[in-house]
Amino acid sequence: MIRIRNLVKTFNGTPVLNGIDLDIAEGEIIVVIGPSGTGKSTLLRCINLLEQPDQGVIEIDGDAVDVGHASKKDVLKLRRNTSFVFQNYALFANKTALQNIAEGLITVWNKPRREALAEARSILADIGLADKENSYPAALSGGQQQRVGIGRAMASHSKVMLFDEPTSALDPEWVDEVLQLMKRLAERKQTMVVVTHEMSFARDVADRVLFMEGGRIVEQGPPQKIFAEPDDPRTQAFLRKVLRR
Amino acid sequence: MNFDLSYFIELIPLLLRYLGITMQMALLGLVFALLLAVVMAVVRVFRVPLLDWLVQLYISFFRGTPLLVQLFLLYYGLPQMFPPLVGIDAFTAAVIGLSLHFSAYMAESIRAAIIGIDRSQMEAALSIGQSPLMAMRRIILPQAARIALPSLMNQFVDMIKSTSLAFTLGVAELMARAQMEASSSFKFFESFLAVALIYWVVVVLFTRLQLRLETKLNRAYQR
Amino acid sequence: MLKMMRKAVLALGIALAAQGALAAEVVKVGMSGQYFPFTFVKKDVLQGFEVDIWNEIGKRNDYQVEFVTSNFSGLFGLLESGRIDTISNQITITDERKAKYLFSNPYVVDGAQVVTRKGSDIKGIEDLAGKTVAVNLGSNYEQLLRAYDKDNKINIKTYDTGIEQELMLGRIDAFVMDRVSSMALIKEHNLPFVHAGAAFETIENAWPLLNNEKGKRLQTEINKALAAMKADGALKAISEKWFDGDITSH
Repeated sequence: MIRIRNLVKTFNGTPVLNGIDLDIAEGEIIVVIGPSGTGKSTLLRCINLLEQPDQGVIEIDGDAVDVGHASKKDVLKLRRNTSFVFQNYALFANKTALQNIAEGLITVWNKPRREALAEARSILADIGLADKENSYPAALSGGQQQRVGIGRAMASHSKVMLFDEPTSALDPEWVDEVLQLMKRLAERKQTMVVVTHEMSFARDVADRVLFMEGGRIVEQGPPQKIFAEPDDPRTQAFLRKVLRR
Repeated sequence: MNFDLSYFIELIPLLLRYLGITMQMALLGLVFALLLAVVMAVVRVFRVPLLDWLVQLYISFFRGTPLLVQLFLLYYGLPQMFPPLVGIDAFTAAVIGLSLHFSAYMAESIRAAIIGIDRSQMEAALSIGQSPLMAMRRIILPQAARIALPSLMNQFVDMIKSTSLAFTLGVAELMARAQMEASSSFKFFESFLAVALIYWVVVVLFTRLQLRLETKLNRAYQR
Repeated sequence: MLKMMRKAVLALGIALAAQGALAAEVVKVGMSGQYFPFTFVKKDVLQGFEVDIWNEIGKRNDYQVEFVTSNFSGLFGLLESGRIDTISNQITITDERKAKYLFSNPYVVDGAQVVTRKGSDIKGIEDLAGKTVAVNLGSNYEQLLRAYDKDNKINIKTYDTGIEQELMLGRIDAFVMDRVSSMALIKEHNLPFVHAGAAFETIENAWPLLNNEKGKRLQTEINKALAAMKADGALKAISEKWFDGDITSH
């Protein structure tokens, strides 16, 4: 469904993505792991062009975009086919939980207000926050904010949801409710790419695990394979470090 | 001390008749200045080629020269170059002058407020598929308004007081009447104290309005 | 909304038609409104010497006189940009101004004036020898007097304030002040003073007009009205209403 070819990104001459190739099938759950600063977040941010890649082609349903020279129209198209969950939630601070979810439905998908609000309410119920519809982000816990963040991403019915370390900023007590919600989405076969340090999530939920280092995908495969018998010594070293308790 | 209290008390209602003109100038000026300022702030934040440069030049000029000079240029100077501009009456010219002058200050306040908003707010808006302009309108500007409010209010207060310069263009506003009454009665202290009190009360009322507005805008940020 | 607009248009039409029927020419006269007693506001009414004269000219010439008040610093700009037709604010005729504007004939003659008590034997500047004469500090009347008094026969004193009190008390025999101000002063406080002789070093004040077709026509028309007002005493009457005497002629 999504084909990424030769995605390259440099920051001030330092390469961060060294020509990434990645195919994402419909309904596939991909978890990206790897040490900090290896381009995992940059990969996600380049897929929806929050970061401008130097070159590469991203093809969604056969529609290829040269992301090195994307027009404004291409940029909007890519962003409307993807949705994004931020590490720091990034909820619209001036809008209530309900408005955060309805915002895209109204302004991007041009749904009538009433219909958009009804849909946003059903999403709020789905993420277990029906009673918080009039709460502003500042009045919500970290876990609640991130669930609204996921709800906002759900509202756009995008082909793929991109999760950029969705639990890293959370106090430990809130991590579980967010992971549970993501698992439910996975069970519904929502296509997603998740950058995370939650290895248990990767093991239990992923269809495919990507190990990245130095701006490259070093190794990929089903979680059973990656966690049990990784081929590459770098993968082995990383897993030894993070799984040692 | 020889304060003529009855003159002072009689003068206030006479002067209040001209408060309307003063406030019309200030409020119309506020509306146009804000519109201009928002557009200029956005142009600067997005660094729109050429326009950004023009806006910088504009801001530099209108902040760098006295309002009185701008009013004279507009009302007396420009018609010499472009005769049809004589058709602009003094009130309109004063409103235009005030709008242009204060929009330069307001643009910078709004720009500073926009820059003060966390980057992730814009990214989140883009991520749901909004265009940068729509994100600016729906997400960034409403938040920037809250941050910019105190300094915008300062500039508005300054604008109310600056309407007194309009008398130099022949607008019979509050200060004009006080000056003219004073010059016949020679009771300068009473006349100017009366006009000072009127300005002060108006500014105090607007400051109260500002506090209410702040409370309203802060509602979203309470835990 | 549409109905309201139609009404407004109708009203405007009637107003325009009415104005056309009257056909009085609008003449806009600029003034500061801050120069007592020439042009000032009292109890929200613009009045004074200048206002009275222009109402009289308006009556005689069938003008609809419209007064425009502005700070003095804006008056010449208003004239220059054609927003007013003339300035009535004691504008002195000078060579620089004459080069740029047309002027009406003068309607006020001002100058240095010897002022003394009623019944004094001083009848003019020539009688000041051996007398004590005061001038205000910062005025150029001291130089004027000294230039006249080559033999140093006049005892000249300068004062910061209170010059009229000194004359009242007899500490001085006379003072020199500008003619028009002294007339206003005498009238305002009802002082027992008189002008001794004619003013010297006189200046003339008149109405500046733009040097164009309209200005030329107005100049002729205004001069005609002014001459008539001088002839039948109307001008003098206005002057005496505001001043202790006639400031409109030598």
